Amino acid sequence: MDQIATSLMSPPVLFFVLGALAAAAKSDLAVPETIAKGMSLYLMAAIGLKGGVEVSRAGVDGQLGLALLAGLGLSFAIPFLVAPILRRLGRLDRVNAGAVAAHYGSVSVVTFVTANQIYAGSGFLAAGFMVAVLAAMETPAILSGLVIARREAGGRLFEPRLLHEVAFNGSVVLLLGSFAIGMLLGEDGYQPILPLFTTGFTGVLCLFLLDMGLLAMRRLMQTRALTVRLAMLGVAFPLVNGTLGVLAGVLVGLDAPSVAVLGVLAASASYIAVPAAMRLSLPQADAGLYLAMSLGVTFPFNIVLGIPLFRWLAETLTPMLGAA
Amino acid sequence: MTEMTRRERIEVLVDAPLVRKLAELAQEAGITGHTLWRVTGGSGTGGAWSEDLLSGATAKCLFLVIANEERAETFMAALEPLLDSHQLIVMRSAVDVVRAARF
Repeated sequence: MDQIATSLMSPPVLFFVLGALAAAAKSDLAVPETIAKGMSLYLMAAIGLKGGVEVSRAGVDGQLGLALLAGLGLSFAIPFLVAPILRRLGRLDRVNAGAVAAHYGSVSVVTFVTANQIYAGSGFLAAGFMVAVLAAMETPAILSGLVIARREAGGRLFEPRLLHEVAFNGSVVLLLGSFAIGMLLGEDGYQPILPLFTTGFTGVLCLFLLDMGLLAMRRLMQTRALTVRLAMLGVAFPLVNGTLGVLAGVLVGLDAPSVAVLGVLAASASYIAVPAAMRLSLPQADAGLYLAMSLGVTFPFNIVLGIPLFRWLAETLTPMLGAA
Repeated sequence: MTEMTRRERIEVLVDAPLVRKLAELAQEAGITGHTLWRVTGGSGTGGAWSEDLLSGATAKCLFLVIANEERAETFMAALEPLLDSHQLIVMRSAVDVVRAARF
């Protein structure tokens, strides 16, 4: 309970709640789209740089490879886990189930950034290489979602254009690119740009989460596709997937903060990389549905409750199972 | 007086990620150029939508081409199977243009 209270009282979460309340009250508060896009690029560059600098300081060891394997495995597998539930309980057709499942296998960069920031505020520091795990988990789920949606339809599963989009998706390029730059710069090389990317980070995150609160609540209020069953699945999926992420992290021997972050990653659902890819490759799927679930239900759940919950789970399970 | 020639103007309201598909179809129809208009929001049978630079999934563009009647017909026929799956809004009108050889 203390962790939930601490998390709820953190500035980014308070700004998120403010945005959600403003949207619920039908306030005209809005963050210009171009500024929101700029802030998302800033946050991705900053988190990539900081992760790279951290890895250059701590060095690369086998943990990175194991964490990457765990992340890739989760991203590939989670869509196959959630799709049958979406079909049976959510009553979705194969195409919509595949599209929604892809979102749940992929990850939310903003949830990752917020979790890192809240955890770091109390000295619960995840390994820098988790940024690479984040980038690795962005896209495998897209392929799994397409397999689910198209396996009975025949024809080609992946168009060359989609494979290009997946490989060179803007957020993946920026995350991995800034991570590599951070590794090359090291701590000394990072110092000149530290004021921009570290000092201003929490403030920008607050403003970005204000916008996300507005977006999430407006998405929820505008949607016509979200049923009560699907909304409940939007809460159940992060609980189950996050627990799987925590277990995977413990099994590959990560430290507790990195285990918690892997749990947050597995629990999160994409709303940056995957929606555009699904619109391109599965245009007949309902974009209003998958955005309402990932952005309107799962994102707020993770920001408010998931982040402290997966920390508690990681701190409980890591000493129990990690030592075994 | 400037010489004007009758051509067909086709405007398609389309989700931003699907613009490239339309550009390919236009090219296959022999239409050599197109223009994208930025649109900020609206509502329709699928509910309200607005400009969305973050995910880009629900952002829309107005895809504009001008062509002679034959190419316009070919392009319209190519759009036909996509109307429902890609949720296209298609408008066609007659316009007078200068430098007709360009269209």
